[in-house]
Amino acid sequence: MAARLLRRTAFDVLKTAVRIQRPCSGSASAVTSQYPGITESHDEYHFVKRLIPPLQVPNPPKHTEVTPSGWIPPKHTPSDLPYFVRRSRMHNIPVYTDITHGNRQMTVIRKIEGDIWALEAEVRDFLTQLKGKTPAIQVNEINRTIRFKGYFDKELQTWLAEKGF
Amino acid sequence: MLRGLLVSCSRGPGVRLLSSFSSEPLLPPNLILPPGLKDGPTKIHRPPVDLSQPVLRTCRFPVPSHLSPKPVWLESLNNEEQEPQALVHLHPDVFDVPPRIDLIHQVVNWQRNFKRISHAKTKTRAEVRGGGKKPWTQKGTGRARQGSIRSPLWKGGGVAHGPRGPTSYYYMLPLKVRVLGLKTAMTVKLAQNDLHIIDSTDISTPDPQYLVDLFKQRHWGESVLIVDDKEGMSENILSATANSKMITLIPAIGMNVYSILKYNTVLLTVGAVDFLEEKLLFHDLRYSTLYNFKYPYSDFP
Repeated sequence: MAARLLRRTAFDVLKTAVRIQRPCSGSASAVTSQYPGITESHDEYHFVKRLIPPLQVPNPPKHTEVTPSGWIPPKHTPSDLPYFVRRSRMHNIPVYTDITHGNRQMTVIRKIEGDIWALEAEVRDFLTQLKGKTPAIQVNEINRTIRFKGYFDKELQTWLAEKGF
Repeated sequence: MLRGLLVSCSRGPGVRLLSSFSSEPLLPPNLILPPGLKDGPTKIHRPPVDLSQPVLRTCRFPVPSHLSPKPVWLESLNNEEQEPQALVHLHPDVFDVPPRIDLIHQVVNWQRNFKRISHAKTKTRAEVRGGGKKPWTQKGTGRARQGSIRSPLWKGGGVAHGPRGPTSYYYMLPLKVRVLGLKTAMTVKLAQNDLHIIDSTDISTPDPQYLVDLFKQRHWGESVLIVDDKEGMSENILSATANSKMITLIPAIGMNVYSILKYNTVLLTVGAVDFLEEKLLFHDLRYSTLYNFKYPYSDFP
């Protein structure tokens, strides 16, 4: 059984080879190929190389004031606050809005380092002044986030930028 | 974990015992301690406080201005008696991150499951042999109507809703989660004084007993994972660890959360620290990928 199968496979391969060879052998003497051959060149490789993209986010240039785009550079002087809010990988202040259940609107502060409860107390004061009453605030110590009701991302971003983060 | 358990065990009954008879030992007499238990009456290398020692390694990558490098003793596998004499600085974004225990759990679950294939399989009523003929007529027998003797209701019948065939449990965690999991695992291990930095894996003898004795003397526990960058491995350490079940030597590229948790102590060479910091810090400041990592990026480490 196996031998017959092998013989048949070998025969198939032979047939295919003959089929491929036939037009080639017929035309080789009469017409040369219309395509040029391949030449390997290492000199032009830098053209390829500059097309390969980087993955690292570059550091922003040294700005001192608010840029025309509205981006605020972080202050490089170390603050004496007990907490720190690090910039996101795109160098923005990590304050985001979130919505669940279609209408539960929340704001999230991420990437908090240090004393998260000190920041929570200050955020609470700030929001109380802003809104007139204290919103519901959640502090997640494990993944270092503060989350509260209502959309206050723009206000919080400017507030954190004023603190130098 | 065992240590914490022991402490809590010894604390509860110990206090009670002390209040009644002060001469009683703190540990209960029927408690059997394993011979190589990590925390017996030992001296523990405290994390360095005196920072005047020479620093043999500084962070190659910029440390954020609000953080400072983490100083750690540089130890050696060669001198048995000597106290560590130098410091290495570790990057705080790799060795001093917030302890996300949930991420460690996620990554370990992923490591155990993503390569799992369950071969559990049962036969349905169609696959059990026989059962083609209707056992008795639909009407007139006084018995419940039955269509096949292999129905799931029958003894010896097929299984309804059983496991079907080889099932793949493959999934991938996001790369950034895996990266943060590895950072967290190393941070936690270092914070528990179970991760040590060694200068190199060069030892003077290929004798396996040398390493066993050395680790016993330093109270590094029963099982030790040695991580080296691939170029640095010498013949002696390879032959000393080749047949050991408790001491494992892996290249730095094979570093993973499961192994970190599995071994009592993890030893990183300075070269392995360089390698890991470069690989892990890259993901902190990168765009999301344009295409698969097997294709080139100009700055991929």
